[in-house]
Amino acid sequence: MSQTYFAGIDAGSTYVKAALMDENQALVAFDQRPTGIDADGTSQKMIAAMAEANGIPADHIQNIIATGYSRRIISMARDTVTEIKAHARGAAWSAPNSIGIRTVIDIGGQDSKVIVLDGDNEILNFAMNDKCAAGTGRFLESLARVLELDISELGPLSLQSNMPLSINSTCVVFAESEVVSLVARKKKREDIVAGIHHSLAKRIAAMARKAGAQPGILLTGGGGRNAGIASALDEALLMDIHVPEYPQLNGALGAALIGMTED
Amino acid sequence: MKISDMVAKRTRRLLKGVARSAAVELERLRSIPGTPEELNFFYDVLEAAYVRNDPAPMLDARPDKDLFVGVYCMVVPEELIYAAGAIPVRLCAGCFESSQIGEDRVPRDGCPLVKSSMGLSMQKGLKVFDLCDIVAIPTTCDAKRKLGEELSAFKEVWMIETPHIKDADFSRRIWMEQMYALKAKLETVKRNGTRGKRINARRMAAAIQDTARAQAEMRRLLSLRSAEKPLIWGRQATAVVNAFAYAHVNRWTEAVTRLNNRLAAMAENDQPMADSGRPRIYIAGSPSLFPNLKIPTLVEEMGGVVVADESCAGDRYLYDPVGSTEKNLNDQMLGVASRYLAPCVCPSFTPNDDRLTLIQRMITDFAVDGVLYHVLKGCVVYDFEVNRVENALRNNQIPLLRVETDYNPEDVEQLRTRIEAFIEMLKSKRSRTKQAVS
Ligand code: SF4
Ligand code: SF4
Repeated sequence: MSQTYFAGIDAGSTYVKAALMDENQALVAFDQRPTGIDADGTSQKMIAAMAEANGIPADHIQNIIATGYSRRIISMARDTVTEIKAHARGAAWSAPNSIGIRTVIDIGGQDSKVIVLDGDNEILNFAMNDKCAAGTGRFLESLARVLELDISELGPLSLQSNMPLSINSTCVVFAESEVVSLVARKKKREDIVAGIHHSLAKRIAAMARKAGAQPGILLTGGGGRNAGIASALDEALLMDIHVPEYPQLNGALGAALIGMTED
Repeated sequence: MKISDMVAKRTRRLLKGVARSAAVELERLRSIPGTPEELNFFYDVLEAAYVRNDPAPMLDARPDKDLFVGVYCMVVPEELIYAAGAIPVRLCAGCFESSQIGEDRVPRDGCPLVKSSMGLSMQKGLKVFDLCDIVAIPTTCDAKRKLGEELSAFKEVWMIETPHIKDADFSRRIWMEQMYALKAKLETVKRNGTRGKRINARRMAAAIQDTARAQAEMRRLLSLRSAEKPLIWGRQATAVVNAFAYAHVNRWTEAVTRLNNRLAAMAENDQPMADSGRPRIYIAGSPSLFPNLKIPTLVEEMGGVVVADESCAGDRYLYDPVGSTEKNLNDQMLGVASRYLAPCVCPSFTPNDDRLTLIQRMITDFAVDGVLYHVLKGCVVYDFEVNRVENALRNNQIPLLRVETDYNPEDVEQLRTRIEAFIEMLKSKRSRTKQAVS
């Protein structure tokens, strides 16, 4: 008997993420590549590579669902869903130790969102920060550049801080100059970085409270890979923050799961 | 270059931009599959006003002879204007191009509606604006109040003091005084030897009757729109009501009558415009004004159908009839005055519980699944009330999505994602309730 598989593609503005699952909802393979100028071509290569590496004939992939900013241009996809729906759907699968998730906070490269779920994982409400870089990965990226750090160094570094400094501007341009002046005043880098995380967390927490966030919070997207953000959010919201094993994959996983049930 | 040449060039550019946006929007409307030909009249009216820049024929008017009165908001009685032998033109505008020009005189935080109207008044050229000999502006919200003051640099402006506490006796008194003052003003407006006519009972009765026919057809259109299988798209219906601003009332009424007959026949033959699986959306909040049909268009492109709205340039504009059967002028004045003040649930009034009652009634009558709350950037009064509306809807378990936007097309893609997610959410809510029932 041949297995059938389901794929989800999350074509974001910076990265394309793809997940391949079998019919028992087990994750078989996943991949992540920079979107580049050809999101469609990139995702075709990713699916082909994942199938080949696992010896799966192409026609055993029964359904492909696309989500993310560029979802409409993914030609292999049978259907598309919004990131909101995909993240909501991925939440239960991604939740560590099967914790009941009532709120997903997704911090992506270009936008961040808060999705509030009911007890049956259905969407109750959502909010998006989609207009400017404040509260998104881009905010961190630009500030990391000012500090001459790689984005992956931010999390561990900020956890060493005992006294986070305050960064008041949420606007990247002004925050950059604040950071520059803190550096000039010879402030500790870990304290600056922790301050940056707190500033971002404050912004996201306000959005989450407005949307009616409930305890049982899952942090996904690039933000989920940064332990500094998780801890700052925990403080800002006074709620436990749960981070899945593959935070960036949550949207793609959700899309694959949707493909399994919605025919 | 001479200053006058520069102005002329700027005007040409503005008119070109406005015409282009309007033409694009009209093309989008006309190419909706299954569009009944009865909608063409309304599209032609909008085309005459914004693309061809020749609105007089649709207003049944002679540009060189007739008197034109520009009005803002929905509290200025058009009956009085018709009764004075003049032609009303509603000037609340929806053009992005002119809203940029208007920013020279409207602060950045002002709403785009006021900026857009300001821009078209400052940079002369568009006839619907230029034709007006006088503009009547009510003191509804702050923006309208200051708009009147700024506009007086370009036009004769007649301010109508609008009381904000509707139920008080003094409000009724002030309002009646204002109506009589407007009447006297209209009777003396002059232009090229034409003068406003004396408003008498006979002329008032005729104007009330004409408007009442328009209102009756409007309510018939609404009741057709409450059908379970949608007979008309919300963005088409928005264009129908928007066109009222630039058409003669009787011509408009005839056209809506034809449209309604057609929709009734479609219902009869079970030929709906959209399938009944789409979530039914009610648009609340700031008005959508042609050519800015961004919000209803996005809702419908993303899988919903707009069944009704509460906008002052939409379904609320012509909803209530004048309750006067008397044939003497004083009673007619009272009837007209009350019709424009009492039932208006514009958020510039306070207290405004009537609005919550209206929205809740519409939710039930139109079997609404979700409310899209449209806030034009800078429109403080509508934004203020979003919480009260959301709380009221919570009891009915109707979700609400607040979107804040202006006339700039640049945020369409971001709005699209949010609106699509909202519709997805309503769809899955619908299928769950269906499962629960079966
Ligand atoms: S809501 Fe009221 S104040 Fe605002 S434009 Fe409409 S009628 Fe005028
Ligand atoms: S009610 Fe809002 S949209 Fe209308 S004129 Fe006032 S501020 Fe502008």
